[in-house]
Amino acid sequence: MNLVQETTLPNGMLVLTREVHSAPVATCCVWYRVGARNERPGITGISHWVEHMLFKGTPNIPKGEMDRLIARNGGTFNGFTSQDYTAYFETLPADRLELGLQIESDRMVNSLFDPAEVDSERTVIISEREGHENDPEWWLSEAMMAATFQFHPYRNEVIGWKSDLLAMTRDELYTHYQTYYMPNNAVLVVVGDFKTDALLRKVEHYFAGLPVGPTIPAFRGEEPEQQGERRVVVRRPGPAEYVQIGFHAPSCKHPDFAPLVILDAVLSGAKGMGFGGGAQTNRSARIYRALIETQLAAYAGSGFRAMYDPYLFELDATVQEGHGAAEIEAALLHEVEKIQQDGVEPAEMAKVIKQSRAQMAYSSESVTQQALRLGMWEVLDRYTRLDTLLDELAAVSAADVQRVAQTYLIERYRTVGHFIPTAEA
Amino acid sequence: MTAIYGRTATIETAIRHVMPNGMVALLQRNPSSPIVTVRGEVRVGAVHESAEQNGLAVFTGAALIRGTQSRTFQQIVAETEALGASVNAGGGLHSSGFAGRALAEDLGLILEILAEMIQRPTFPAHEVERLRNQFLMGLRESEQETRTQASRAARAMLFPPKHPYSRLSSGTIQTVQALRREDMIAFHALYHPRVMTIAIVGDIDPPQVLAALERVFGGWEPLHTPPEQTLPPVPPLAGVQRRDLALPGKVQSDLLYAVHGLSRTNPDFYAANVANMILGRLGMGGRLGDNVRERQGLAYSCGSSLDADLGAGPWAALAGINPANVERAIAAILHEISEFCTQGPTPEELSDAHDYMTGSLALGLETNDGIAGTLLGIERYGLGLDYIARYPGIIRSIDAEQIIAVARKYLSTENYVVVSAGPSAR
Repeated sequence: MNLVQETTLPNGMLVLTREVHSAPVATCCVWYRVGARNERPGITGISHWVEHMLFKGTPNIPKGEMDRLIARNGGTFNGFTSQDYTAYFETLPADRLELGLQIESDRMVNSLFDPAEVDSERTVIISEREGHENDPEWWLSEAMMAATFQFHPYRNEVIGWKSDLLAMTRDELYTHYQTYYMPNNAVLVVVGDFKTDALLRKVEHYFAGLPVGPTIPAFRGEEPEQQGERRVVVRRPGPAEYVQIGFHAPSCKHPDFAPLVILDAVLSGAKGMGFGGGAQTNRSARIYRALIETQLAAYAGSGFRAMYDPYLFELDATVQEGHGAAEIEAALLHEVEKIQQDGVEPAEMAKVIKQSRAQMAYSSESVTQQALRLGMWEVLDRYTRLDTLLDELAAVSAADVQRVAQTYLIERYRTVGHFIPTAEA
Repeated sequence: MTAIYGRTATIETAIRHVMPNGMVALLQRNPSSPIVTVRGEVRVGAVHESAEQNGLAVFTGAALIRGTQSRTFQQIVAETEALGASVNAGGGLHSSGFAGRALAEDLGLILEILAEMIQRPTFPAHEVERLRNQFLMGLRESEQETRTQASRAARAMLFPPKHPYSRLSSGTIQTVQALRREDMIAFHALYHPRVMTIAIVGDIDPPQVLAALERVFGGWEPLHTPPEQTLPPVPPLAGVQRRDLALPGKVQSDLLYAVHGLSRTNPDFYAANVANMILGRLGMGGRLGDNVRERQGLAYSCGSSLDADLGAGPWAALAGINPANVERAIAAILHEISEFCTQGPTPEELSDAHDYMTGSLALGLETNDGIAGTLLGIERYGLGLDYIARYPGIIRSIDAEQIIAVARKYLSTENYVVVSAGPSAR
């Protein structure tokens, strides 16, 4: 794979470029270091709403024209907001790549936030939230986050609380935009079929003139150490009981990140290493064999994500008929206890490391996947982590896996959630 | 257009090989990728099952991996997952599909296992019961999903009960509970190499792969002939049929408008596809999205879909709506359809649709998966490997008059089905 070239514009904007000539396509994406992590009560969901407003036009590209320009040029584009970042991308036929640069440069500083558009988008976003609310597991997940994080903004869903969505004003949105959308808080990633020198001249043309903004507000909200197990119950109409368990765990920058990734893979297969394109690897893993093959659960798995701040190691399951949430909670925890007591087998270690290599290859297929993965790692830590990640994983020992299971996956640090269906109305 | 040309050449240079038993192999070498994608289908699906056995094709397809004459389910997943590879299979409405993904050096094992799953599955009784319980839980969950329930109801209103399009291929709790292992064995016996296609894309050596395919599939020579795909006639819709489904605990309603569309081989297909793009897909959901989402702020998503395959599937508009706004959204959808049928597309909309549909071809052909899927589609509908080269010409030939004609012929504001599924009406 070609090397990534790193360029910093005088206004502080970092530009990462990688030539890939296997197909006549290219992706450009811009990452802002802002997300639900940067929100406080009263304005939860604001980062996601701002993302929506960036599709609502600038003085140069009126609302609707952006969609038409992309479509006319045979491209796709979108945006997404997470706890740690907000990102926008355009994937285009390679000879139309400049359009992506033009749009991203323009909307970084010129987005209108027309009050009428803000109001119309309010109901769109509430509708997005209400779509989530149709899913019983979503209610459990929202309650789990609010219990797991008592102080850190990770307690709030990215979409925001409904009362905040009803109350937020145009000025709050615009202030948030002006605070975080500036070249010195952004990373531009371009991957695809282009010549770097020519591309960088265009990048300079579109981005070098954008003004440096004020210093980004310092983050506050470190989560204090949990002092004992917490439990959450959600009772609503639903088709089944569901169990979710979250243990406080370190961020992606911590030395125990790699052992925890391996622990997750041992429990439920190595996961996709980025944005789409993974392969299913969970069916020979411990949780599937212990909970699904035994018909205790219709679904069961684990998860551990790369996050900027310390986040969670998660377990979850859909309880099969004839069983109860408490029984399935115990079965999930029993799989953890076995590793805490007996460690993992050398063959399991070899398997999940090979799976990780394969997953890394599967999620490098398209220029979009490559660009998004580079941007995400740059925002979370450094994009160069992608070059060392597989080596970090390969260096993990079975003893490390057992140790992190003993250190983090303990009663004191866990929150357990049960979804219990109520009788139908 | 120069940008597209590179990929056009690669689809056109794919190898199409018909094996002596009738199975078609499509191979494309993509040396830029260290991985291999296998995708295939046997054109036997839910269209071949009775209403009483609804869910049989899906259940049978999913059970292929649960044991073969040489490997148990746990052996299959242990062997493949140890390499970071995966194999899967599943039944669908028109065909039963299968797929594999591996690092290039592991392709041989993937083909061997897929060949076993397709030709020699054993449907072990205990595995069938495990799978049945997973399916039943999935069905209980989907019984409370607004989108699935709206779709189920609309199909039952659009198509007569004997027609396979009148139901969802996933079956119902009742029918899946009643399916027996013998039913799956009998259904699997319909599979036939003459209706099977396999596409393999990645860093492969085509002669070697053809030899491997001959080795693992060459001996498959069923005595029977493959089942035909025919569908019963469908009476036209008369008037407006509406259903409102109340589901407990829901906050949002899913809304679905539908009429009969057309089959993939219908000469109107391309005009209808361009019309659908303008009506409900382009940008943020075409005209429908522009009205319902952008102008009225009624929904997070609103758009349309055209389901054209063996027979005429639904041509549908969909939206997720606050229950208080369901009537407004229905009115908005009907208004947009009526306007579209009367006035047709603007010159700008038409040229945007032409440009998007032709320009975005390159994006769909970037990955092994995208190339394999395109090759399968080309084979399924007999389009020829020059299809991608011909496609821009076909799309650009569609004019406003043709679009108005198909919109008036198929869409309607007088004869249609409309379903809402969500919180009970107040």
